[in-house]
Amino acid sequence: MNKITFKFILLFFLVFIVGFISHKVGLNTQQMLAVSIFSASVFATLLFWDFRVAIAFIGIALLLITKTVDLENMVKFASLEVILFLVGMMVLVGLLKEVGFFAWLVTLILRIKNLTAYKFIFVISVLSAGFACCIDEVTSIIFMTAAILEICDYFDVDPTPYIITSVIATNIGSSGTVLGNPIGILIASKSGLTFEDFILKAFPLMCIALLSAICITMFWYRKTIKILDSKIKQSLNNEILIKLISVPPEKQIKLVLSIFGLTLLFIALHHRLELLLGLEANTILLSVPLISAGLVMIWKWRKAREYIEKDVEWWTLLFFLLLFAKAGTLKYTGATDVIAQKISFIVKGNPAMLLSAMLWISALGSSILDNVVLVAAFIPIVQSFKDLGFALQPLWWALLFGGCIGGNITLVGSTANIVALGILEKERNIKITFFRWFGIGLVTSVVAITIVWISLLFLPIYR
Amino acid sequence: MKVKEIMTKDVTSIAAETNAKEALDLLQKREISGLPVMDANRKLVGMFTEKEVLSAILPSYIEKVGRFVYMENPKAVRQKARALSTIKVKDIMRQDVITVDEDTALCEVARLMLTQKARRIPVLNKIREVVGIVSRGDILRALFEEYSSDTP
Repeated sequence: MNKITFKFILLFFLVFIVGFISHKVGLNTQQMLAVSIFSASVFATLLFWDFRVAIAFIGIALLLITKTVDLENMVKFASLEVILFLVGMMVLVGLLKEVGFFAWLVTLILRIKNLTAYKFIFVISVLSAGFACCIDEVTSIIFMTAAILEICDYFDVDPTPYIITSVIATNIGSSGTVLGNPIGILIASKSGLTFEDFILKAFPLMCIALLSAICITMFWYRKTIKILDSKIKQSLNNEILIKLISVPPEKQIKLVLSIFGLTLLFIALHHRLELLLGLEANTILLSVPLISAGLVMIWKWRKAREYIEKDVEWWTLLFFLLLFAKAGTLKYTGATDVIAQKISFIVKGNPAMLLSAMLWISALGSSILDNVVLVAAFIPIVQSFKDLGFALQPLWWALLFGGCIGGNITLVGSTANIVALGILEKERNIKITFFRWFGIGLVTSVVAITIVWISLLFLPIYR
Repeated sequence: MKVKEIMTKDVTSIAAETNAKEALDLLQKREISGLPVMDANRKLVGMFTEKEVLSAILPSYIEKVGRFVYMENPKAVRQKARALSTIKVKDIMRQDVITVDEDTALCEVARLMLTQKARRIPVLNKIREVVGIVSRGDILRALFEEYSSDTP
């Protein structure tokens, strides 16, 4: 039996099981159809990743043809506001790249005074997490990987531990704000949580989780760090390293920095501005990247088309859009209400048990599934818990942290992992085995998620 | 005018198993920027060009990291350039090659060169053997020769 036949058989088997369970839990025909088509799309996406957009197209068409959802609701559930937010941010990130903003930041690492290996690992972790908080995690990890490779080459050391550390920090960091990971903005737009909520509640918890991961990686790679340390001491100064790359200091960088800074500021203040101006929730949050991107496209009007065509990841965004629409159908048909009732019955209506299950299941799930797929599926279920009397806020945080940190467990857990390891393999011919990643990935994730778990359970701020 | 009338028929080629550094030396010796890679049956298996060598020795992420300036040559580039003598042409050649058949019109070849950004295009016969190669210069020369003979 060849691999493709096996995958098809597995797909039918999995969908059959989901269909069977749906029937057993008492879903009606429409609900069963919505659950089956959605799960078929998710499993097919997992098994045939390169065909995910084609699968999403066919999946949504099937939902429409079978009258599982109507056109009006499909458009509503597609969450165009989230997609437009991501488009705006991608245009801005395109401009930042073009003026050399990221390379400029990387040169800052090269200029660290009295560099030591521990200082290096700390700085790359904090920068990776910081980058992942402000821009998307994929752009962030490309720059960090590039910087780490250049530095490790200079000192002639194996870059693998530092790249793994940077990826782990990136995934943890992406839970700190609504900007780091698409699930952040997705949760913010569906939950009513504001950027301020993220800064006050998610960001500190992210910092503690990051600190735990930094300590663990420093211990885990202590032997490798010693080697780097001795190489750094031998080299006396890193003058050649500093000279390696440069970004001409231009007015443009300052101007672009101001635009980006102002965008972040307005995003951070969105809730207060919405209250002040009497606007609907998230109006400012979703409009600010569009205004900034619009201004950028007026300023650089000759390149506007290039920003839209090259810097916006339409492939990914179309996948998200259709995925959101399919997941919304679960809510529309009432399937998630039934699922939520069953889950509530299993956890005996206990909020702490529900929170724990949500956190650990989303973490384990996102270690094998794309976290956006997972979170898109969970969002309508979480919304259904509201009618059952559960407080939703802890569940949203559980979903956010589980979805982001869980990506660290395996080497295919998040896009950042795949991108960084792809570059490492291509550039240095180093192929990381599943278990080499799994060891450090699992330990850092379990510790970080346990920190989140305890905080969500016991700190009143998260209730 | 058809491409078979102007193509270079004596095609220099290299084998996929050739050492990449030797293949690069051959390009430089002949002062050309690319060569077709053929198997023992004269079937085209790829294209080996200076561009492929450059993308093999420079970091793969340079297009993604945006604007920056190299002030020094990084060690990795030097190491990859040295490693060229340990790899084969098949490891870095481009496999997806634009080809035309012998009876293709010159303008069609020119269109392909422009839209597909190809500097030279191998010409294949009916049984898919390489029978010639045509460059941008060949096309331009032939087109202008043809048009200059037109009466105004």
